[in-house]
Amino acid sequence: MKAYVRGTGAFLPPRVVTNEEIAPGLGMNPEDIFRSSGIQRRRWAEPGTAVSTLAVEALRLALADAKTEPAEIDYLIFGTMTPDRFIPGTGPAVLQALGLPEIPCVDIRQACCNALYALQLAQALIASGTARRVAICLAEVQSAFLDLSPTSGTLSMLFGDGASALIVGGEDENTKGGYEILDVFLSTNGAYVDDLGIRCPGTSVGTAQNHPPAEFAVDFSPRMNGQSVILQATRRIVAACKTVLERNLLTVAEVGWIVPHQANTNLLQQVAKKLGFTAEDRVVNTLADYGNTSSASMGIALDTLHRTGAVEENVFLLLPAFGAGFTWGAGLLRKTYVPCNQFLSTFD
Amino acid sequence: MALPQPVLDFINESAETNDVAKPTNTDDLFKLGAVDSFSLVDLVAVIEEHCGVKVPDGDVNPGNFQTIDAIEQYVARHQG
Repeated sequence: MKAYVRGTGAFLPPRVVTNEEIAPGLGMNPEDIFRSSGIQRRRWAEPGTAVSTLAVEALRLALADAKTEPAEIDYLIFGTMTPDRFIPGTGPAVLQALGLPEIPCVDIRQACCNALYALQLAQALIASGTARRVAICLAEVQSAFLDLSPTSGTLSMLFGDGASALIVGGEDENTKGGYEILDVFLSTNGAYVDDLGIRCPGTSVGTAQNHPPAEFAVDFSPRMNGQSVILQATRRIVAACKTVLERNLLTVAEVGWIVPHQANTNLLQQVAKKLGFTAEDRVVNTLADYGNTSSASMGIALDTLHRTGAVEENVFLLLPAFGAGFTWGAGLLRKTYVPCNQFLSTFD
Repeated sequence: MALPQPVLDFINESAETNDVAKPTNTDDLFKLGAVDSFSLVDLVAVIEEHCGVKVPDGDVNPGNFQTIDAIEQYVARHQG
């Protein structure tokens, strides 16, 4: 059975944090932050905000967009690096807040590739008949974990908070069109586990109870080898896009929009150039206003594009991402038309 | 073995774009500012095109491309 993204939602916390506000503490200047990332401002949640509260708002919007009642959801996938709790996952908090039924919930930890992993899993759940309506929540409150000193300036300047949600369903009598999930290609290379991520708490490097105090900050804060990330991301993303296009017998010229994980504007431009995708205005870019919201970013970008109404029927969307692991991949969606019987039903 | 001229041209043009001096064979291209992470990706593509080598993803790190001499040595090691 085919699977479709039936509705999207995004929620950003109201507090706007500009480059001018954070640059002095990070030992940088605002212009350099913009020049090296394309980011002008980002949203940060108020201190103490649970990531589930952002996700709930995004999911409400996605449910409304999909014209789906909470009771119709029969599976929940939650992607985040900044969960409410270490255990259990954050999905149960969303169920409770929205009054969803007692359904399976799974948290995934694939960082900036969470949206792609969630789409692949949702497609498989629908295709296998395990689920009929899957809710995907993708959310981060990264501001709670950032080191706002010059030591981590080039890292902390990037990240924002936010949430997105997608409703994925199959073909049935209530079909209202959407974005068909045609393919998701994913891959991982474990040689780079410490080039991007947060090492602790974990059984490999240490827990709060046993960790050497001198190494606490560096191991419990986000870490990034920027040079390694850029070098690997550019090549892996381009290769993933080519793979997913080739195995669907498409060329880049047939892609209508690129809806990437929002990592860095310079990286997005590099990827578009190397793919030969010349329509730069069709690379969805929300970095200037929201920064890099990790798990949430691809969903926010898709929701932003969806709500412009600019995506025409049968247009292909290419969704590339790269993140901690390293893991990377690309998804392929196609905007589907509203079937004739839907037009007829409106005149019943 | 000297690098093909298009490779040297790329490095020199990148240095000019970044407003730094034309690098010598032993200058650290990254410290000098002639090459950064983004332009290294392009430099590798130019090397692959003009030197007849395929640079595996795992080799795409600054250590292999730190200086013009280092690039020459890398190419010499990997040419068929």
